[in-house]
Amino acid sequence: MPRSQKYPSSHLNAKRPSSGMRPLVILSILSIVLLTFYIREGDAGPIHAVRSGVTTVTSPLRIAGSVVASPFNALGNVIENLTASQETLSDLKAQNAELTSQVAELSEAQQTATRLESLLGLQSTYNLQSTAARIIGGSSDAWSRTVTIDKGTANGLEVGMAVCNSYGVVGQITEVSLNTSTVLLIFDESSGVSAMVQSSRAQGMLRGQADGSLRLEYVSVDSEVSVGDIIVTSGIGGVFPKGLPLGTVSSVERSDNDVYYTIVVRTQASTENNEEVLVITALNDGQVATDAEVSEANAQDDVTTSGGGSTDSGSAANQADGSGQDGTTTDDESE
Amino acid sequence: MQLHDPARPGAPAPALIAVACVLQVALSPQVSILGGTFNFMLVLSLVLALSRDPGPAAVAGFACGLFFDLTSTAPVGLMALILTLSAFTVSFASRGSLGGLNADTMRFIGVAALIANMAYGLCLFLLGDQGDLLWALGGHGISSTVLDLLAAAIFLAATASSSSQRGFSARGRGTRYKVLK
Repeated sequence: MPRSQKYPSSHLNAKRPSSGMRPLVILSILSIVLLTFYIREGDAGPIHAVRSGVTTVTSPLRIAGSVVASPFNALGNVIENLTASQETLSDLKAQNAELTSQVAELSEAQQTATRLESLLGLQSTYNLQSTAARIIGGSSDAWSRTVTIDKGTANGLEVGMAVCNSYGVVGQITEVSLNTSTVLLIFDESSGVSAMVQSSRAQGMLRGQADGSLRLEYVSVDSEVSVGDIIVTSGIGGVFPKGLPLGTVSSVERSDNDVYYTIVVRTQASTENNEEVLVITALNDGQVATDAEVSEANAQDDVTTSGGGSTDSGSAANQADGSGQDGTTTDDESE
Repeated sequence: MQLHDPARPGAPAPALIAVACVLQVALSPQVSILGGTFNFMLVLSLVLALSRDPGPAAVAGFACGLFFDLTSTAPVGLMALILTLSAFTVSFASRGSLGGLNADTMRFIGVAALIANMAYGLCLFLLGDQGDLLWALGGHGISSTVLDLLAAAIFLAATASSSSQRGFSARGRGTRYKVLK
């Protein structure tokens, strides 16, 4: 019997179970290619466009999920409260968020009016050009702090627009689809908002931390900062209007050789489902930091770095409003 | 003579896939407990991998990961890569000897989910999306794994229930019967 008939190699190969290595290798390479293109392409790239399309298609499901889950939001709060310290809970109970926001707004308006009347003769108000939206969901993954709102490009929203609610600044839009937008919260590690201490006008940058807290960075130790001070947006960078409340100082620390304070900020801005937010679509001239204020912020940093002998190149003004995980950073246009 | 393996159905479980996709889009963004969120796509890919050969399992993992990437704010392709590798490894390691809602399967899926979540957190840290490695792994990773295990238990119970309604199944007892057709 010929060997080929006794051992039909082609038949054996056809019956041999596949190890699955080929799809594994192909799909792994495809994943890496997708990841590379996603990182390198801009916001208008094809992968971002596909994601935007998927987000648009799935938005009805997100809205339905938001409606269904909203009665159970209190459960998450209960668990969060159980894990919070007693001191934090008592502080939170003692503080009236709405009053804090109103005090901040009124104080800012008063100080702004006084300062501008006496120095520049200008007027600044909270006359925001904004669009109302509703939060319909949070982040799908545990590693980022974002919310989804129910307005998108169809409503005139764009990447980079600031989002706030009645308590103050919430975040900044980082992705938009036709009818939804993704807002990167100020709590996210990659978020940064140009801010200042309302009472002393000390400039800094509010950054999210890994544990969900907020820190005001690059505030010189020469500045006057104390617990309870209200932190507001400085308007540097032209993304967030000047004077919007961000939170209050909950602790101030200073080590011997530090050039900057370590300031922890507590905010009252909540991002519960179905909560209304305002997307600021445009800024008036009076809502953006003036050249003098930017210069003042830079001068403050220069004094700190030269006086303290620090090599830290961080500047509140230079890093203003550098927010967004997709690289929507550095608004130095105003300089 | 052809071997037929009822434990490894050729057709996917469309109902399970549909439910997982709906839950991923509608429920996952709404639930966050102790820094963790449900990843129904991870659970789906692991459950599917238990009953499939490594090749199809890798394809299922890639599809699940890509769906997760496109419906979240994470870098597109990252979860696809991790789930492709995870599903392939789970399928290869289980060899069809696991399935159904039992301790062995849950332990196996728990380890796989933990490794996948840890790898995801590590990659996000390396990509610069996370600034604190400890928090990315210990905080988000472990919390998410616990939630994923909960979802996996439900999925496994559902698949075991549906398979028992179709007929006799030896899955879950560590054995697999081949039926001559």
